[in-house]
Amino acid sequence: MPGFDFSNYNRNAALHARGVPLPKATSTGTTIVGCIYDGGVVIAADTRATSGPIVADKNCEKLHYISPNIWCAGAGTAADTEFTTALISSQLELHSLSTGRKPRVVTCMTLLKQHLFRYQGHIGAYLVVAGVDPTGTHLFTVHAHGSTDKLPYVTMGSGSLAAMSVFETQWRPKLTQEDAVKLCSDAILAGIFNDLGSGSNVDVAVITSEKTTLKRNYIKPNERTQKLKSYKFARGTTNVLNEKIIRKEDLGNFVTVEEISVAGPGDQMEVDA
Amino acid sequence: MEFGTSGSLNEDGIHVDMDRLKKGEVNLGTSIMAVTFKDGVILGADSRTTTGAFIANRVTDKLTRVHDTIWCCRSGSAADTQAVADIVQYQLGLFAMRNGKPPTTQTAASIFQEICYSNKDRLSAGLIIAGWDERHGGQVYSIPLGGSLHKQPYAIGGSGSTYIYGFCDSNWKEGMEEAEAVAFVKEALKEAIKWDGSSGGVIRMVVLTAKGADRHLYLPDSDYKIRHAT
Amino acid sequence: MTSIGTGYDLGNSIFSPDGRNFQVEYAVKAVENGGTSVGIRCKEGVVLAVEKVVASKLLKPGANKRIATVDRHLGVVYSGMVPDGRHFVDRARDEARAWRDTFKSPIPTADLASRMGGYMQAYTLYQSVRPFGITAIVGGFDSELESPVDGEVGQGPSVGAGGKAQDKDYGGPFLYMIEPSGLYWGYYGAATGKGRQAAKAELEKLDLNGDGAASLTLEQAVKEAARIIYVAHDDSKDKDFELEMSWISGTNGPTKGKHQEVPKALREEAERLAKKSLQDSDDEDDDKKEDDKMEE
Repeated sequence: MPGFDFSNYNRNAALHARGVPLPKATSTGTTIVGCIYDGGVVIAADTRATSGPIVADKNCEKLHYISPNIWCAGAGTAADTEFTTALISSQLELHSLSTGRKPRVVTCMTLLKQHLFRYQGHIGAYLVVAGVDPTGTHLFTVHAHGSTDKLPYVTMGSGSLAAMSVFETQWRPKLTQEDAVKLCSDAILAGIFNDLGSGSNVDVAVITSEKTTLKRNYIKPNERTQKLKSYKFARGTTNVLNEKIIRKEDLGNFVTVEEISVAGPGDQMEVDA
Repeated sequence: MEFGTSGSLNEDGIHVDMDRLKKGEVNLGTSIMAVTFKDGVILGADSRTTTGAFIANRVTDKLTRVHDTIWCCRSGSAADTQAVADIVQYQLGLFAMRNGKPPTTQTAASIFQEICYSNKDRLSAGLIIAGWDERHGGQVYSIPLGGSLHKQPYAIGGSGSTYIYGFCDSNWKEGMEEAEAVAFVKEALKEAIKWDGSSGGVIRMVVLTAKGADRHLYLPDSDYKIRHAT
Repeated sequence: MTSIGTGYDLGNSIFSPDGRNFQVEYAVKAVENGGTSVGIRCKEGVVLAVEKVVASKLLKPGANKRIATVDRHLGVVYSGMVPDGRHFVDRARDEARAWRDTFKSPIPTADLASRMGGYMQAYTLYQSVRPFGITAIVGGFDSELESPVDGEVGQGPSVGAGGKAQDKDYGGPFLYMIEPSGLYWGYYGAATGKGRQAAKAELEKLDLNGDGAASLTLEQAVKEAARIIYVAHDDSKDKDFELEMSWISGTNGPTKGKHQEVPKALREEAERLAKKSLQDSDDEDDDKKEDDKMEE
């Protein structure tokens, strides 16, 4: 049977109610944003993936391909954003092939919300959906439970508060592409620097009716630099207390050594009998 | 999914969570209403959507079209109410095509009720359905949490509605003129927004008459005085 | 029927070269052998009547009803193969129930006719089935009032509901006839079965659509229906028959919007008048010369 297995749900819930802590799912403490401008839409994300307090990946990709003209930024459970976007990307491509039309952003959003609603929030995918199609430029957010919003600028993830503060103070109507990219990357930077769950670099994607430009690591504000001091220990720093040499011939005293004969001509495997 | 801190084990060893909203679910802590007036019906709503203490959307449109002159006000879980409204919109579209005439508000209300009642333990949706049709004029139906159906001359709903029961009871009149009814809805929602922390943002309205649907938007910047283009 | 016996009549879903479906035509033959059914639509309501041929003296008079109620406001009568008619009625009840389940309101007569027309038509399409051996007459009265949604809590408000379109009437009496092919039309007066020709001739003389004083009242329609069944039966005097009649009026009429059997007293009065009318015309006929008789 395809799909998810919830047979352990009640057991886990019962254990939890008795005070047993549940294992933490790997989630991407994240800052993702999107912003419409005159002529297209920009989405951006940080690149930190976390597993509890551990940074699991310092330069992961949170901008997901859906179709050439539609891209998604994902927050929440890393695996869920990855597989949900891949699934909907596949469905949308098949749909596009059978209709002979370019995929629409609303179609993508509807497929996502219906898929996520069916799983009642158990698929922890929080997505920013952006794209340009024959009906115009669109920007949506889709929450894990299946609700959607349509707005000119959006933020999601643990860093969404920091990012939203940037939009709410600096956004204005009729932005140029450069302004929109600057605004989105500034919003991500706010997340990177003010939210513990977000960090590392800024990824940006610019979608216009002509083309999509993915600017991977558009800003790298946390580059590892040369250490000011070398921490390499000089040879001989540690004293040699004693020394013993074991020769190859004496190896048999420590382990069992067995010679394997090379197969003769008669023993060769027949490949085309 | 993370479990909330509330809840307990019942005798079957099954976890019972008393919270209607799942953790992290988007909530429409809301003030919604619909009133009948001389020429039809008016729907009104605030625009605040919250996840816990965070405002996920400050300009939400909680007035959702399910047919040309049948709309609904959504309160409760955003995901649930959007899903239900999407299903009803599809059903009414199909109805109109099959029968060659628009559905009545009753038809819409009964489809809404069937979904809300048969899925009552899975949904947290408080809906007000309001519509205009040639035969019945403006009508308002309310479907609260359990999935019952109530026909009313006007209806209020959402967390903010508790603050305006008195206001509405003493100010609503039968057969108001359009301008009068718009003012009534606006004043009621202004009070609800003022007193309810989960309501806020802009005031949206839809006026449904023989002429079709007419959208209103009022911004807090001008103390909701000026009607803006939508 | 030149193509008879050439294989084009062996199954449904086979057209003859001249574009006919013989199975459907044979089904019509089955209908033409059945007892006459009549439906009259007048301003105040609908009357259904059927000539129930008494097949055996052992059958209890008044039992084995031939007119069926499909929903509170809907009645069906049919001519042809009775078991086929029973199945038709079962299906019509299912449709009416399903409509109530989804829309929480009674099915309009037109919609029931449409659904049942579609159902009959489907039985002309497949090798594995035969068409219905009946022609059904569906009568109904769609409520002229604003009815509440089934399952609505309370009576609803007495105020509100502004902006209604003025001077428009809704609902009213409706009459449809559905043939074995699935073809259906709305009628003022409908007749089918053995005596349909005579019945149609009589129906055409009635003023069923006029607004004036000449237009038929519901009670007059009951009497006309009885008379027409008697006239139609007149051609085949050999067999005994029972008259069964039902009627549907609006909310303010005698049946209060429901499909009901015509009360015994009224039916017997209608039958008395029908017999008297036949007697009178027979006397007239006797006065006529022999060569006036029509021949066929």
